[in-house]
Amino acid sequence: MNTLITLSILAIVVLYLGLFKAKKALLPVTMFGLAAALGLAVIEWNSNAVPIYSGMMLFDNFAVAFSSICIFSSMLILLVSKDYFERISEHVAEYYAIIIFALAGIVVMVSYHNLSMLFIGIEIMSLSLYILAGIRKKNFASNEAALKYFLMGAFSTGFLLFGITLLYGATGSFDLLEIKQYVISNPTIISPLFYGGLLLLIIGLGFKVGVAPFHFWAPDVYEGSPTLITAFMSTVVKTAGFAAFLRIFLICFAPLHDFWMPPLLVMTVATLFIGNITALYQHSFKRMLTYSSVSHAGYMMFAIIALGTASVNAVFVYATAYSIASIIAFAVLILVKRQTGSDSFDSFNGLAKRNPFMAFTLTVAMLSLAGIPLTAGFIGKFMMFSSALSEYHIWLIVLAVVNAVIGIFYYLRVVVAMYFKDAERSIVAESPFFKVVLALSAIITIILGIYPGVISNLF
Amino acid sequence: MSISLFYLIAFLSIFFSVMVIFSKNPIHSVLYLIITFFTFTIHYILLNAQFLAIVNFIVYMGAIMVLFLFLLMLLNLNEDSEPMKSNLLKIAGVIAGMSLLITLVGSLKSLHISDPVILQTQDLGLVKNLGKVLFSEFLLPFEVSSILLLVAMVGAVLLAKKDTKRI
Repeated sequence: MNTLITLSILAIVVLYLGLFKAKKALLPVTMFGLAAALGLAVIEWNSNAVPIYSGMMLFDNFAVAFSSICIFSSMLILLVSKDYFERISEHVAEYYAIIIFALAGIVVMVSYHNLSMLFIGIEIMSLSLYILAGIRKKNFASNEAALKYFLMGAFSTGFLLFGITLLYGATGSFDLLEIKQYVISNPTIISPLFYGGLLLLIIGLGFKVGVAPFHFWAPDVYEGSPTLITAFMSTVVKTAGFAAFLRIFLICFAPLHDFWMPPLLVMTVATLFIGNITALYQHSFKRMLTYSSVSHAGYMMFAIIALGTASVNAVFVYATAYSIASIIAFAVLILVKRQTGSDSFDSFNGLAKRNPFMAFTLTVAMLSLAGIPLTAGFIGKFMMFSSALSEYHIWLIVLAVVNAVIGIFYYLRVVVAMYFKDAERSIVAESPFFKVVLALSAIITIILGIYPGVISNLF
Repeated sequence: MSISLFYLIAFLSIFFSVMVIFSKNPIHSVLYLIITFFTFTIHYILLNAQFLAIVNFIVYMGAIMVLFLFLLMLLNLNEDSEPMKSNLLKIAGVIAGMSLLITLVGSLKSLHISDPVILQTQDLGLVKNLGKVLFSEFLLPFEVSSILLLVAMVGAVLLAKKDTKRI
């Protein structure tokens, strides 16, 4: 709760800073505020939280972990934003404020204990993103991304809301515990309304996290949005979406395992194949990353399929590894695009000679995304696969491993371009902020890969 | 009195919704749809659901439908510019319509006359009760909604405002 209040106030303070033209203070104040919010979230760890405000919110360890990783990733992304927003327009304060508002929505999304809170949290986050996707007002791709995201998002919200309504109709309550009580106490005579509501809820949340067959908006939106916003959308937002997805399944729907398992299995396998195979054919690094983010959504679905206490841990580690690695990739992409004006694989040619440090961090990120051992991505995939194996989904694992192999191929293309292809190019200028973010993220990726115990035994 | 009023309004609802589908001119369609929504509002009042009636009146009839009407006028759709429907579409339409008909007939079979709805508490749909719930049990979602509105406001101004500086 303190985190939510801090974030809301911080966003308003940032708006006022923009009003009084305090451009220099924006980034430090935002960073300081986010650090405060992060601290306030972390001290709630193991505080035996109880639902507050008549069961609306429950800031338990789950909520603490996912709010923290979301706030931390946002801090990394905002550090990179130095000099980025200034190139778009002069309304920098508003961009910061909207990102912080989105974070407030995310905190609501990961700590909800009532479906009305889930809905409002998702709406706050999505609304902020519709705006952020369209901040390059003169750029057609950005306009298209914003409009497409808005239409699809509004559409999926309809599904989500309809699902929530049907669940309310069946159980008579929005409260997660009461829905759980309903499921447990009526194992045989669950109302058909409930099943309908559950399916619609899956569709609505599936749209938000971008799993097939509800992923069609993702590539266009991610590609059209400004790169920094894409980084935010494909890391922080995806993590929050999965946290919300997992939370309701973990608390309410676990006993109905047999009902929702088949559709989710189909969705997962479809997501893996569509994401990976389409990523294989991309010539643009950014578009490849967007498809890879679709495929990573497929891997994260494993935790929901093999639902259990271990799945929180698995999603947490996977989301952390994926977010950190993606932030490196997008940060390097911003720099390279600024220099060459293109985001194709060819624009990375010969980067290793001129910017060895940048090329190295990007390599670490790519290896982590591909799931090579000694990086965090490997640990994430390992935990996902082992939780699925414990539920005897053998053939699912086989398909996932096939996909991981496909993934290695396209992730290494950029590494090959950087190290083995020559091109005349000058040094890509990187500001100290970029260096800090790249170094920090690479170190985290490697530490988690070598010593995963730091975060893998939290729950 | 109330029952006959209900049947009159119900007839009007169905009549105007059928008119929405059958009118050739899209603008007439929208106008009929507005009337249909108005009859819904009367239904809500008959059910003593005042809040729903007001919201339906203001939001659906007032805001959304008028917006829709303006949009249609801007798009300038009329009979001439209507795209030709291919045979495939017609066949698909026939199949879908038949399926709907079968579903309707199937559900008609299980139809029986229900008891008239008797409200357990007479003042169920009053604004007063909604307000009480909103400011006690659902206070937090209500307050958090303010963030949502603020984001929407900031975003709308941000997107609509003209950039003075171009790079």
